[in-house]
Amino acid sequence: MEKITFQINDREVEARPGWTVLETAREYGIEIPTLCFHEAVLPSGACRLCMVEIKDGDWSKLVASCIYPAAKGINVYTETERVSNVRRWIFEMLLAQVPASPEIADLAARYGVTRTRFPVKDPEEMCMLCGLCQRVCEEVVGLSAISTVDRGVHKRVGAPFLRPSDVCVACGCCVNICPTGAMRALFDSIRGETKTTLTQLTA
Amino acid sequence: MNMNSSRIGVFVCRCGDKIEPLVDLESLGSQISGIPDVVTCRTLNYPCTRPGMEEIISEVAKNRLDRLVIAGCEGRLMLKKFETELEKMGLLKGQIDMVNVRGHVASVSDLPPQEKAQKAAKLIRASAAELSALIPTPQAISNLTGPVMIVGGGISAYMAAKELDQNGIDFMLSAPTHDPNEVIRRLHLAYPGERESHDRVKKLAVEVVQSPHGTLLPPGELTGLSGVTGDYALTFRDKETGESRTYRAGLIIACIDAELHPSGPSFGHDGETVLQQSDLEEYIWTRGAPRGRVLFWVSDYETGQEEFAKLSAKGAWNMARHIRSCSPQSHAMILYDQRMEIPLNAGERALNRALGIEWIPCDKAVRPTVQDRQITFCGTNDHLEHDIEWDLLVISPERALGGEGLRTAEVLGLVHKHDRFLTGHHARVRPEMVGKEESYLAGSGRYPCDLDEALAQGRRAALKSIDMLKKAENHELHVPRVVCVVDPDKCIGCGQCQELCDCGGIGVEIGPGGGLPRMVDPLVCTGGGTCAAACPYHALTLQNNSNDQREARIAALSSHLGPDEVVAFACAWGGLPAADIAGKMGMKYDPNVHILGIPCVGQLDPSVMARAFLEGAPGLLLVGCLPEECHHSFGVDHSWSRVSLIKKLLSLSGFDKRRIALAHADLNRPEAFIRTVESFSHAIKTLGPIERTPNNLSKLKTLYNMARDNSRVRHLLSAGLRRPWEDVYRGDQRHALEYDRDFTAVLVEEYMQQRLIDVMQNERRPLRINELATALHEDERRVASCLMGMVSDGMLHFSHKEREAYYALNN
Repeated sequence: MEKITFQINDREVEARPGWTVLETAREYGIEIPTLCFHEAVLPSGACRLCMVEIKDGDWSKLVASCIYPAAKGINVYTETERVSNVRRWIFEMLLAQVPASPEIADLAARYGVTRTRFPVKDPEEMCMLCGLCQRVCEEVVGLSAISTVDRGVHKRVGAPFLRPSDVCVACGCCVNICPTGAMRALFDSIRGETKTTLTQLTA
Repeated sequence: MNMNSSRIGVFVCRCGDKIEPLVDLESLGSQISGIPDVVTCRTLNYPCTRPGMEEIISEVAKNRLDRLVIAGCEGRLMLKKFETELEKMGLLKGQIDMVNVRGHVASVSDLPPQEKAQKAAKLIRASAAELSALIPTPQAISNLTGPVMIVGGGISAYMAAKELDQNGIDFMLSAPTHDPNEVIRRLHLAYPGERESHDRVKKLAVEVVQSPHGTLLPPGELTGLSGVTGDYALTFRDKETGESRTYRAGLIIACIDAELHPSGPSFGHDGETVLQQSDLEEYIWTRGAPRGRVLFWVSDYETGQEEFAKLSAKGAWNMARHIRSCSPQSHAMILYDQRMEIPLNAGERALNRALGIEWIPCDKAVRPTVQDRQITFCGTNDHLEHDIEWDLLVISPERALGGEGLRTAEVLGLVHKHDRFLTGHHARVRPEMVGKEESYLAGSGRYPCDLDEALAQGRRAALKSIDMLKKAENHELHVPRVVCVVDPDKCIGCGQCQELCDCGGIGVEIGPGGGLPRMVDPLVCTGGGTCAAACPYHALTLQNNSNDQREARIAALSSHLGPDEVVAFACAWGGLPAADIAGKMGMKYDPNVHILGIPCVGQLDPSVMARAFLEGAPGLLLVGCLPEECHHSFGVDHSWSRVSLIKKLLSLSGFDKRRIALAHADLNRPEAFIRTVESFSHAIKTLGPIERTPNNLSKLKTLYNMARDNSRVRHLLSAGLRRPWEDVYRGDQRHALEYDRDFTAVLVEEYMQQRLIDVMQNERRPLRINELATALHEDERRVASCLMGMVSDGMLHFSHKEREAYYALNN
């Protein structure tokens, strides 16, 4: 099969048609942080955390590596100043948007971001609207029990009309895939109240 | 390719920093290489990404692999991707298994990497053993053909028939009448207040009656159904002659309407001045629109059917409209409970104002009282008791399935539990099952609805049938891979499976002696498998997920467990996702717990449970769904009965019955799941291992033989597969104590017999009573009486030598 050679962090790597920059980097053990990317579903490039810099002479651009296809001769850099700058901004925005998510706080801390200069709108918020839950429900489970409701700044995740969904089979794939832990709180509003609860479970 | 060659490839995922630094992958790799049937073992960075997937595909081709174990993360999320990608390599569903090393091994304990590798190797060994025991079936394709039978007599039948007609599909229609005028004449019995639609429905009925694709059956009552999807035989008894005729059909659409009844005496229904909605329609048919003051009382809150208040209110409004437009002198009023929203849109409200129909709210706290020519109610603003005078009072009907609709539904197997309406299908399992019904169901018998909704349901049912027939025509109607199959040589037609089956997948076969429930409808079966585990003779098998596979899995794991280590079977809807989520969140629990996933704990045959102990497991935990939340309806409850059997057998053998336990878990409460497994593993630690002495091993062997092969015990178990308080099954409910005592007595008797047989088989010579009693550590008199019974049952014979009786097995 055709080989595509290019460089990541000045190291020569080899990909094949259909591979993305992120997949190639992972195959070579080069770490790029991701949030809205999950192998079970198609990439969507929503969170922009996987940004890398592609340099060509003195010209360069930032791309989302999860959806950028590997191409012959490109020079990819995962840890340049521009990349870490963008990453820091994204982490700061995430910290402001989902202050209640320990997963996001941990990930941000690993990249040295522990505080945000943006105002926190809702200190309880955990969902960053990456859409993984919606995508896993549609692509893996084969249903559409979850969707995003409303638009713009009012957008949030829920069952259609924010009522427990008849379609939901309560498989928990969305809880499992959620990178921020937000789905755990939302899950009961989507599958509906369970008919029975054991005392120890509600404790 | 030989389907049973069993060439297994194991692919271990490094998963970045989630597995590699935590588990010693080098040591894991060398342990895996020693597993039987494993041809190749590779460690990949990410098997699930494009590069990893290409590597797997080339390994499959190079080594002619026919089974794969992917040791990485949650199968629930990732398995579908592997199945889709590898289908072109001839690996079908069931031939790929995933072991969650990341979530069940790497992240859940602080063990050193070397010990985690051992734990992972045990789980992978179990998975490989299960795949070795797999007998993969080729992908079956259903050759479904028409015609479509429409039964039930509901109005939605005409919409369904029209849709089929337009698509050129043959249909048979069984209806109480085929005269379009008569259809309209009777429509108000189920759908009052739909006068505006009468012309439309009549046109529809005319089209259907004249359709070249349709066969109109003479009016008759459905009395019998046999066969499965694609080959149904429906028997109707002619109402007049009493003769029965049988028709064959590929698919069935059930169009069933609920019946409307007048409410009880406190509503004052007399059929003359106080009418129910369909009575008023009849009045209008025979005598024209009434004059004077007509009061509609939306009485659904008072009859306990408040969810249908809007439906009744809409019907009332439609009739009020008709009355007002026919006779402007009349006065129409609607009295409704303040909790109800008025179900009119803006245009209708404008029309309502123009017609001057009065909507009067009443306070929910006080029930309106019917008196002669007046009704008293409490006003919502002033809380005063008001009276309204009427000449005709129209109350809401009580809606329920009944009469012929209910009988038809029962014959079709649509009645899962006795309720006022048909629930449709209730299984909430994998998506391919969602919305799948044993036959397509439409009409107000499913849920009270207006005429438009009923017709739309009929149309949807027809579209689903058309979709299936078109797929079958293109050879694309795949039969699900994990479904039950019956071995007709073993099946005795006892019908236990049909009684237990939650999906209606057990079909009836017409044989010389009448109908026998001994075939499976693969397009309906949800693969729950409790029926297979209940079969006294192992005649039912869940293909591609068989009992042999589960036994192989538990045996491979149990035989490699340490003294404190326990096995937990976790169901795919409760325990397993809870464990996955606990693992993802990095919660820690006792590493001695080894989790095996299973689609439903109801699939676990008692032989699998007994096998765990026989092979050396000190404890076995089953983690199912919450009660009432079981995705296969009764899987957890059936499992309770089976666990209770094993508990009794353990006690009889002198082992502690706490070694097996059933637990319930909610996937969204991983911390509770951890408390469950920790508590069980602590209990087993206290009990210690079962010593592997010859005596213990022989007792465990007896236990296993009884659970697997003793058809009397298995029969009794499956006949009682319910908790004593469950009454959703047909048949008599037994007194809880009596049942338990009888069951235990049978077990005691059978256990001693089985022990004697096992001893005799081991010794292979005639034995004296005292020798047998010593071998069993039992009282001689008890052994003697058991032996006498066995002799009279023809299982043993005895001979005398020097005045002593010697017993030996027959043949």
